[in-house]
Amino acid sequence: MIIPYTTERRADTGMTNVTLGMWLFIASEVMLFGALFSAYALLRVSATDWPPGRDLLNLTIGAVNTVVLAGVTASAWRARRSPGPQAGRWLAIGVLLALAFLGLKGWEYSSELGAGLRPATSTFLAMYFTLTGLHALHVVAGIIANVWAIAGISRVTDAMTAGRTRSLALYWVFVDIVWLIIFGLMYLL
Amino acid sequence: MRIFSTDHKVIGLQYAFTSLAFLLLGFLLILTLRLHLAWPAQPIPVLGALLGESRTSGGVLLPEFYLQLGAMHGTVMVFLAVVPLAVGAFGNYLIPLMIGAPDMAFPRLNATSYWLYLLAGLVMLASFFLPGGSAQSGWTSYPPLADFATAGQTAWLVGMFVLVLSSMLNSINLIVTVLQLRAPGMTLMRMPFFVWAMLVTSFLLLLAFPPLQAASVLQLMDRLAGTSFFLPSGLVTSGQPANVSGGGSPILWQHLFWFLGHPEVYVLILPAFGIVAEVIANITRKPLWGYRAMVGAALFMGTMSFIVWAHHMFLTGMGPALSGFFQITTMIISIPSVVIIASLVLSLSGGSIRFTTPGLFALGFLPMFGLGGLTGLPLGLAATDIPLHDTYYVIGHFHYIVAPGTMFALFAGIYYWFPKVTGRKLNDALGKLHFWGSFIGMNGIFLPMFIQGLAGMNRRLYDGGRTYQTFSGFDGSLHGQAWSAVFLGVVQLFFIVNLFWSLKKGARVSDNPWNSTTLEWATTSPPPAHNFDPALTVYRGAYEYSEPGAPRDFTAQHQP
Repeated sequence: MIIPYTTERRADTGMTNVTLGMWLFIASEVMLFGALFSAYALLRVSATDWPPGRDLLNLTIGAVNTVVLAGVTASAWRARRSPGPQAGRWLAIGVLLALAFLGLKGWEYSSELGAGLRPATSTFLAMYFTLTGLHALHVVAGIIANVWAIAGISRVTDAMTAGRTRSLALYWVFVDIVWLIIFGLMYLL
Repeated sequence: MRIFSTDHKVIGLQYAFTSLAFLLLGFLLILTLRLHLAWPAQPIPVLGALLGESRTSGGVLLPEFYLQLGAMHGTVMVFLAVVPLAVGAFGNYLIPLMIGAPDMAFPRLNATSYWLYLLAGLVMLASFFLPGGSAQSGWTSYPPLADFATAGQTAWLVGMFVLVLSSMLNSINLIVTVLQLRAPGMTLMRMPFFVWAMLVTSFLLLLAFPPLQAASVLQLMDRLAGTSFFLPSGLVTSGQPANVSGGGSPILWQHLFWFLGHPEVYVLILPAFGIVAEVIANITRKPLWGYRAMVGAALFMGTMSFIVWAHHMFLTGMGPALSGFFQITTMIISIPSVVIIASLVLSLSGGSIRFTTPGLFALGFLPMFGLGGLTGLPLGLAATDIPLHDTYYVIGHFHYIVAPGTMFALFAGIYYWFPKVTGRKLNDALGKLHFWGSFIGMNGIFLPMFIQGLAGMNRRLYDGGRTYQTFSGFDGSLHGQAWSAVFLGVVQLFFIVNLFWSLKKGARVSDNPWNSTTLEWATTSPPPAHNFDPALTVYRGAYEYSEPGAPRDFTAQHQP
């Protein structure tokens, strides 16, 4: 059975099912992180003291990771604009960069835990580990989705692949924006 | 019928049977609790022995198990029974049929959402067998209590996390299906009101549930990683200073929980409005009165439901400015409910009403929801909410909305669409017994709660308030409530027997036994794999009953 408007746009909404679904998913995710950022604001406003993030966290790794994640997003957008096999190459580059992001993040975590900075130490660190941890899970999910899209290139039609890369580009932009907010809140402010 | 099917009808039925099983479980939990409340010192017959020594002492419920019953009754009923039945079962089964689509937009995602729901339910069920039992900090899981509760609370949080994932996938699917897969000619304002109600409901599920997911992640961190998101500085537990970093806020949980919790109320009630609207248009043989106003009211209600949540929190010591804001928004949000109910009541006038079984349930819904809604107004104003807060008045109020309210609508829906699903009708005599029995039983349970609550009786009292002399006069009503609950349980047997008997032996009926106008009746019963062959085109609105000049008293949407 073929579900209508999986790859072709519906005239009155101007979208495919996949694109609309991805926007709705992002709306839901905005509420998830929005709730967490609100929690951050409420806890920080009522805190008696709040350490500047750069004193506790490794600003250099954070800044490098910001660039690396921007690279993932850029490659996802290149994939979106490229036909079949080339899209796969760009998605693969995205996977490697995302793995690098996770590697750096893991290294940063281990040095923090080694220095006795644990989630239970303070509300600042609790927020830091929760936000970055949940964000890292989104990076993991993105890697899985990229690999799945790469594996699908030879099996599904080009139109299907185009729909997938369009959605992935949207997803990575969202993951990137969330990171930028986390970077600002935890490392800079 | 394959178990791992991606057909929306199979998934809808999987949702239906799973959620009905949870509905029965939720009812049995509270039946046990009500028996205990009526006779707190006496062993519960049979059940007391079955529950075992970790939950009872000589057949009398232990306080810990009493708290588990209350917490899990709420959780099971709201999250595992009513919402999945309304949205998962009715939404999945009917939405593609009503808009003339071959299936949902994302069939595999649809199956995933069902299996995640089942997984969440099994996690919740399994928590009863953990050391210390299931969650017991109320269905709202307020910290700091919940942060220090036994392992069952962790299972509750994990279950809730998975459940939110499931409902997110389901709601994305429903929204995309409604917006993208409508048959040619099915404009938005030609959609049945049920579809509109489910569309708004899906947006609420999509946007209001993630904050609960965030909150459950934070509470999991508190419990597993030792953080203090919800634990203030200087906290003392069991006479000892808590060994935590502090700096958290218990109120934060309440904000996050009720940001979900209030839209959740509309998730519970909007599908019910939708079902009742379909049934009432059908039994009155008239177009719905004020269809456009109802659609507008549903959209307005959905939007407003995001800015009323703190009326659950007047006792947290919020300032008058904040409480003023939430009191005003709460009074405003009662308007769209009144618009919808008034439209439904006005739809009755001048109709030649068919008192079918679904019709009785739909008609019963109107006054019951009205009672629930009107008793809610004093709870939306801080001055009256403060003395009524946490009393049985509140319990009575929201049960009138959800039990004889939403549940009656869902029963109406089951009786109404059963012929579409099976090609057979549910037995009418048993159905009518089920309706009148449920009507009497439910009122017998919930009506006394208003009086008890106005007298100040608190909820969650282990001995039903016997410790307090003020409440000593309530023995009679507590016994009456327990007998009503038993009676309600017995009456549900008519429904259960009817359901299974009619599946095999019910009277065979035509494809459109109710002479209805909407598209789901244009296909065979049960519908074939991709619903419509050939695909349909829609030419008219959803409620063209008794059109002057038409050959019959209904003109189906797909008739040119």
